[in-house]
Amino acid sequence: MIRGFLSLYSFNYPRIVIYMLQSTEYMVKPYLQWYWRTANFTQVARRRSLDMTRRAKLLLLVMRLGVALQIALAIVLLVHAYDARNWQLFNIGVVLLLSFPVIWAHLITVPLILARHLIAVPLERKLVKQSAALFSKHEGIKIAVLGSYGKTTVKELLLTVLGAGKDVAATPANKNVAASHARWVRTLTGKEEVLIIEYGEGAPGDIKRFADTTKPDLAVITGIAPAHLDQYKTLEAAAQDIFSIVDVVGSENTYVNRESEPLLSYVNKNQDGYDTSEAMGWKISKISVSVDKTSFVMKKGKKTLNLHSGLVGRHLVGPLAFCAAIASELGMSNKQIEKGVAETKPFEHRMQPRLLAGGWVIDDTYNGNLEGVRAGLSLLNELKAKRKIYVTPGLVDQGEQTEAIHHEVGELIADAKPDKVVLMKNSVTAFIQAGLAAKEYSGEVVIEDDPLRFYTHLDQVIAVGDVVLMQNDWTDNYN
Amino acid sequence: MKTIAVFFGGRSAEHDVSIVTALASIIKPLELSREYQVEPVYIAKDGSWYWDQRLKDIALFRTGDIEDFIRKAPKAHILFDNGLTLVKSSQFAGRKAYKHIDVAFTAMHGTHGEDGELMGIFEMANVPYVGCGVSASAIAMDKVLSKQVAESAGIASTPWTWFTSNELSQNHSAVVKRINTMKYPLFVKPARLGSSIGITKVDSPDNLVNALEVAAHYDDKVIVEEAVPNLIEVTLPIIGNEDPEPAYLEQPLLDANDFFDFETKYMGQGKKMGGKKMSGGAKQGAQGYSKIPAEVSQKVYDEAVQMGLAVYKALGCEGIARIDMLINSKTNAVLFNEVNPLPGSLYAHNWRAKGYSAVDLVTRLIELAIARHAKVAKKQTAFATNFLKQF
Repeated sequence: MIRGFLSLYSFNYPRIVIYMLQSTEYMVKPYLQWYWRTANFTQVARRRSLDMTRRAKLLLLVMRLGVALQIALAIVLLVHAYDARNWQLFNIGVVLLLSFPVIWAHLITVPLILARHLIAVPLERKLVKQSAALFSKHEGIKIAVLGSYGKTTVKELLLTVLGAGKDVAATPANKNVAASHARWVRTLTGKEEVLIIEYGEGAPGDIKRFADTTKPDLAVITGIAPAHLDQYKTLEAAAQDIFSIVDVVGSENTYVNRESEPLLSYVNKNQDGYDTSEAMGWKISKISVSVDKTSFVMKKGKKTLNLHSGLVGRHLVGPLAFCAAIASELGMSNKQIEKGVAETKPFEHRMQPRLLAGGWVIDDTYNGNLEGVRAGLSLLNELKAKRKIYVTPGLVDQGEQTEAIHHEVGELIADAKPDKVVLMKNSVTAFIQAGLAAKEYSGEVVIEDDPLRFYTHLDQVIAVGDVVLMQNDWTDNYN
Repeated sequence: MKTIAVFFGGRSAEHDVSIVTALASIIKPLELSREYQVEPVYIAKDGSWYWDQRLKDIALFRTGDIEDFIRKAPKAHILFDNGLTLVKSSQFAGRKAYKHIDVAFTAMHGTHGEDGELMGIFEMANVPYVGCGVSASAIAMDKVLSKQVAESAGIASTPWTWFTSNELSQNHSAVVKRINTMKYPLFVKPARLGSSIGITKVDSPDNLVNALEVAAHYDDKVIVEEAVPNLIEVTLPIIGNEDPEPAYLEQPLLDANDFFDFETKYMGQGKKMGGKKMSGGAKQGAQGYSKIPAEVSQKVYDEAVQMGLAVYKALGCEGIARIDMLINSKTNAVLFNEVNPLPGSLYAHNWRAKGYSAVDLVTRLIELAIARHAKVAKKQTAFATNFLKQF
């Protein structure tokens, strides 16, 4: 406790405050939530250090100047009060001197709030309004990709597979909100044959707003799972928002991932889509999954596709098959489709296999939802290995369902029967442990309180014949 | 949580190699296991002992700050209290810091550590320790003794002879004459140094005297061995007590005319390859490039593994050791060469290939140390007699 208090007065304190702001992407609410639950500010920056961007430099300068000013003011006040034997004023000076860390941790958000509301928001609004016209004018087929999970994967797969025969553009990385759509459309040539637009829902009404602006022709819903529950409160509310896309493109132009169980209750039985056995009328067979590739066959009428992908996991067969089916609908040849699928490779930190110290490490640290956990554990269960190790800190942003979901995560882990489970210690660890205990998991459980140390020394823990699945990663602001 | 003291450094030519073995291959995985509290004990080149958590930091040694540390830090000593307790002055009010240890883990290479001296202390203290015991360590580190023991167990090795430095100075011509009855090329080696220090390959009698003097400069005991033609060098890491378990037979990738000297092992990382491109199963292990498993016929492979295990047992090795062997690739003859009772970096690269991670390996070695100690503890070593009453 004393150390925590003293950490407020450490030389690095302003830097830590700016680091916290930067880590929460300068969003005031999560920053303040993190700030008030921090007991010791010297323990905050464990994963990375402050990236000295222009914004960070400026805020750091403002904070340091502000702190210096407050200290100077407090000293002047103290000296004056002492000379005048004015103890009331002296006490105010003491409070002023001691309070500078807390005062400036809050005052530093003022320029951010002002900049956001006076500059960024109006600017973005204008940009989004202008972009609606650009999207309307564009003649390419617009495919909206949305869902609680898997949308970035499906977007990238569509880009790769369709890119083997079409001029395709897709929203970059995880830039999936209205402002980023608006910036992206301005970069297009206008000659693209297909546009793929990822929708990153975060609060009720988002999907309708995105669709009104981008005017998609088709939509693919990649799955429904508990995510952003801090805003949506319930899964039902999140699903309602996601399915509002049907009002824009129509049911016949909406494709769904039929393997997402929660999703099925919002669609009728014949809703077109994909799973591991069928995609848009194509039958899927001969699925084989190994630690570094996935292969399968698709058949429709007289057409046969022999597909091999560098992606890993049975759960990716459906999305890959959907991409191949869409490609066929758009007139691509079998050869082009097979080439496109062959070019699909794991994305960074998403079921990305790599060899380390002779063992296979499957990096799925960007996964952040229960369905992803399910898919990963199903893969781990399916793979052959001398020893299987599962590593996770759990999931973030699970709202009121945090305990129930992590209990389920524990049960899923127990069902997959890894030899060893490594849990990164945090607020949900006990819930996962309870899930493991409920299923009488008998393997080794290690509670790791220093994730960075574990990740950097992973080579010491594994050997030839091991498969390690690492799912999810909590940045400093979630600890 | 068990307390493991890791001893490293020492009065040996392999002082620096020992630091790397301790810090990278023992202390780091021990700490990562989360099962042990690790106490590093550094033995300086002058033989002084230091015990401090800061000694776990490789930067202390890499930057040379260790010299400053040694000047300021209190020396450690040990207390025999039906076990072993580390002791050092706290430097305040005459108080001392104590730490009772549960298991000793030696990371010592070469003289005054790997040769059984340190193990003697642990035996006296009645504390479990990792690796070969006193006699096995002493025999293994003495190439003459280990050949004699191997020969008595019917294990073949290349023709060899030995002499003392005293014999060389007093009866030089007789020694040279005896050696000249052997078939050149020859290897002249100090009998009790590790890491190939002081070894010379002698192609003709002209270079013999110089080679003998070099070897005698390092050790009072010198061994001379005939070189094996069409040579394939192989090495077999083994762990275990009564039921030793071999790792893969490993083949260091050297030119047939060369040998594994100190520079190749620790400094050059394969300098003798002359820039040859590695292929196939070549891996850069702790000691340069090697093939794991060795590329020899299955029959020769099996024979070498059996010989390695036979040597391990004949010398009474326990815990861990590495058996070096020589193969004549034309005749397929497998010959015992020498034993290394504490392989550099524990040969963790080979064990990893075998399925033991670095953490698994150190954990297993500690289990073996505890098992051996428990077994020995059951033996009765003291007897009640009325001898003193008769006095």
